[in-house]
Amino acid sequence: MSEDVPVLRVEGLSKRYGEKPVLEDASFSIREGELKILIGPSGGGKSTLLQCINYLVKPDAGRIWLDGDEVVPARKRELYAYRQKVGMIFQDFNLFDHLTALANVQIALSKVRKLPRDEARKRAVMELERVGLKDHIAKYPAQLSGGQKQRVSIARALAMDPKVMLLDEPTSALDPELITEVLAVIRDLGLEGMTMLMATHQIGFALDLAHEMIFMEDGRIVETGPPRKILSTADCDRTREFCGKLTDLYGEAR
Amino acid sequence: MPASIDAILDALPYLLQGSLVTIGVVLGAMGLGLLIGVSLALGQVYGPRPLGVPIGLYIWFFRGVPLLVLLFLFYFGLFSLMGLNLSAFAVAAIVLGLISAAYQSQIFRGAILSLPEGQLKAARALGMSDTRAIVSVVLPQALRLSIPGWSNEYSIVLKDSAVAYALGVAEVMARAHFVATRTYEHLPLYVAAGMIFLILTFLGTRGLRMLEDKVRIPGYSR
Repeated sequence: MSEDVPVLRVEGLSKRYGEKPVLEDASFSIREGELKILIGPSGGGKSTLLQCINYLVKPDAGRIWLDGDEVVPARKRELYAYRQKVGMIFQDFNLFDHLTALANVQIALSKVRKLPRDEARKRAVMELERVGLKDHIAKYPAQLSGGQKQRVSIARALAMDPKVMLLDEPTSALDPELITEVLAVIRDLGLEGMTMLMATHQIGFALDLAHEMIFMEDGRIVETGPPRKILSTADCDRTREFCGKLTDLYGEAR
Repeated sequence: MPASIDAILDALPYLLQGSLVTIGVVLGAMGLGLLIGVSLALGQVYGPRPLGVPIGLYIWFFRGVPLLVLLFLFYFGLFSLMGLNLSAFAVAAIVLGLISAAYQSQIFRGAILSLPEGQLKAARALGMSDTRAIVSVVLPQALRLSIPGWSNEYSIVLKDSAVAYALGVAEVMARAHFVATRTYEHLPLYVAAGMIFLILTFLGTRGLRMLEDKVRIPGYSR
């Protein structure tokens, strides 16, 4: 793949609910291996942006390119194929409650990618091992901790061989001890070169690993830049104010 | 008293044959109700908005018109109008099934709506079509949640099936009535008929309870 074609390019993405714009003219691109962090206050449009990117929420306007090919969401087959290449991690995991950890990872391999049963199973086991859940594959979501659930959901997304992962505050529903185990998995993914766009308030994590930070408020991308700049010497007053509070709360680095 | 017991014992084989007919009508009705009920519920929850109108009319009609009226309407009217020559047994099963579908649809609709919406989003995010997500993610969970309501519906359909007697279906009630009018042993025969219904209710609800336990998702408390 050519160096200058971004893995994901988003142009003019907008969404309004009734009169209220929740996402206005969002544009950015992510290159292979990059980790970009979305920060900003709740209700600022981070979640809407992430969900518009794989059309879980239908944007009112905007265009998206994956590896340089424009996505046409009206063509169902293309949309389904595109979503397979865009891994999505949710704040509250959204595991399938009636399936074991193994079956949660296996189901899309069998039913969407149509892999033979043995192959799907082998791949699912491999992905669960990768996130450190080898001993828990037979457990149901209700028998797992929050951190384990989130790791299953990461394994489930990885099994589809995504080109890019979207993570929507993956640690917000977890207590501090569990946050660490999930962040460790995400960190490893980043080090392995996975392209990621992640909404989070984990400033220390962002400082360590992010290539770029995107600050969003009121549905707009207010400022974009290297994490250290955004956190300490942002051009925009509002960005500085918000980041100052995050730093007070979570500390600047680990 | 011994005479009454004799009357019951004499009629018992005949009544028990009738219970097979009752079971046949109820199984047919519950099965048909399941198929149509799930379709109606899926249509109501996931279908395009205009589809809600005919579904609403269906439910309104079959919940609103009395069973006996519907049995006569279909047996003496509608089916022959359509050129169908169906047995009283088949008509009873179909009409009870059409009515049960209206009630069952609301059991399934409630169960579907009680599932966390995020699971459907997760299924879509993995590249599943809506149909695939419904089959693989929504229905397996919604049907589990529907078992208690479905068990309730079973006991109602079982009792309603006695009305099929009015079409001349040789089920438990029809047979009890037939023997009673011939032997004048009214009390013992209707006691026997009632007991057969009680036993069938017990067996059915008990069986469904066992099914509920068997398919319970591990990790959830009772």
